[in-house]
Amino acid sequence: MKEKKLKYTLISVASIAAFLSVWYLVTDVFHIFPSSTFPSPVKVAQAFIRKLTVKTPDGGTLATHLAASLKVALYGYLLGIGIGVPLGILMGWFRKVDLIVKPIFDLVRPIPPVGWIPLMILWLGIGMRAKATVIFVSAVTPSIINAYTGIKQTNSVHIWVARTFGAKSLETLIKVGIPSALPMIFAGLKVSLGASWMALVAAEMLASTEGLGYMIQMNRMVGKADNIMVGMITIGLVGAMLTWILEKLENKLVKGGRTK
Amino acid sequence: MRKKIRFQNTKAETAVYFCASLTGLLLIWYLAVRYTNLNKVMPSPFEVFAFVGSSFVKNIGSRILPFHILASLKRVFVGYFLACIIGIPLGIIMGCSRTGKAVIKPIFELLRPIPGLAWIPLAILWFGIGESSKYFIICVSAIVSIILNSYSGASQVDPILTGAAKMLGARPIQIFFYITLPSSVPQIFAGLQVGLSSSWMAVIAAEMIRASEGAGWIITTGMESGNTVQILSGMISIGLVGLLLASLLRLMERGLCAWNIQGK
Repeated sequence: MKEKKLKYTLISVASIAAFLSVWYLVTDVFHIFPSSTFPSPVKVAQAFIRKLTVKTPDGGTLATHLAASLKVALYGYLLGIGIGVPLGILMGWFRKVDLIVKPIFDLVRPIPPVGWIPLMILWLGIGMRAKATVIFVSAVTPSIINAYTGIKQTNSVHIWVARTFGAKSLETLIKVGIPSALPMIFAGLKVSLGASWMALVAAEMLASTEGLGYMIQMNRMVGKADNIMVGMITIGLVGAMLTWILEKLENKLVKGGRTK
Repeated sequence: MRKKIRFQNTKAETAVYFCASLTGLLLIWYLAVRYTNLNKVMPSPFEVFAFVGSSFVKNIGSRILPFHILASLKRVFVGYFLACIIGIPLGIIMGCSRTGKAVIKPIFELLRPIPGLAWIPLAILWFGIGESSKYFIICVSAIVSIILNSYSGASQVDPILTGAAKMLGARPIQIFFYITLPSSVPQIFAGLQVGLSSSWMAVIAAEMIRASEGAGWIITTGMESGNTVQILSGMISIGLVGLLLASLLRLMERGLCAWNIQGK
């Protein structure tokens, strides 16, 4: 068993190495793509180190942009899941709530969070509040959908058993519905996180004076592809870190139902 | 005696609640605009509907509203289709084969956390400001959830089922087609739903940043001229088209995996 695991780890390492070396080969070695638009991994790494201290051309170091983005994103995200998950659970469990909320939700949901940006900028300016609201909208949708689907997919036999043993609807929801929906809910939280992070980038690209999205947008205007990639990688890394924290939490909270 | 409305079937009930809740929403909106000072920043719903109606004959910018929507839809379909034909097989391979997972997952995990919209600056540098950069952005945005859900669907197959099939002498290919694929279809569809709304969002974002037509363009120009009516009209039509797309997909889901539609 241990040997097998080692084999798959080796394959993974080889896969990443192949990816990086192909990237390196097509850029720095064979010059298939010009380095001004497609810099090599080495150039990106250099730009990354430079960006830690240098403020040009977008008026901030990597750390200041990152801090600005994180603050807005977490604010909107926590608000979004705090409202979205309970609402989704209620919609999945109580038919009346479903019937009343679903039409409105279905109408508002298809409006992409990004589509709210112009309205929010007009209403709230280009500051923190507009961005946080856009992120809230983007975080709330997946958490509602997944909590809803998770509850809907509750095994009816489990519900019947609970009912047979005299559990009230609310008790069944708390003891059967929610635990069995938890994996789905956590999947939703992860999608929400991705969506908020994405909405943040969009909001910052359109209207902002700081943040990672602003940084990559400014660097496009001056044509510095290496800095764009630094920004994208940072966005990716931080997003992955947040997801990792969420996964740790999931492993703590979700019992059973997982085959690993 | 207490009167109680009895519904013949659940469809009628759904329709009644649908109308009631939408009317309620409109009423609140209308009253709020009419009687509070919200009307400084928000037009009444009827103004917006009138604008949407008139835009079917009157140009916004260079063309009428349906053509703006069609321009956006065309971009979505190309990008989304690409994402589906790449994403679903990749996800299933990752879910079924450990070797496939070992090869694909690390690279996927490297690229996945980068949001689709963060590719916009790079896509513009690479493909210019034309259509192909938009296809690329839409594909990248949609593909993540498609891969992720196909993967989790294929890997969360009940081991008892595969075990039973193995014990009864099924070959791997049979297990794949009779167990893995059918039992991951609901998850795949969840991914397709999220993917479709991501690609609809991506097209809006891409058009907001660089375009001369399309639904995203309508709302950005509305913002630039401070025209809330146009923004809201744009948002409503974006929402309606999104709703239409989601319902189409749900209809398909109903056809393809009827066993998952219990009590929906």
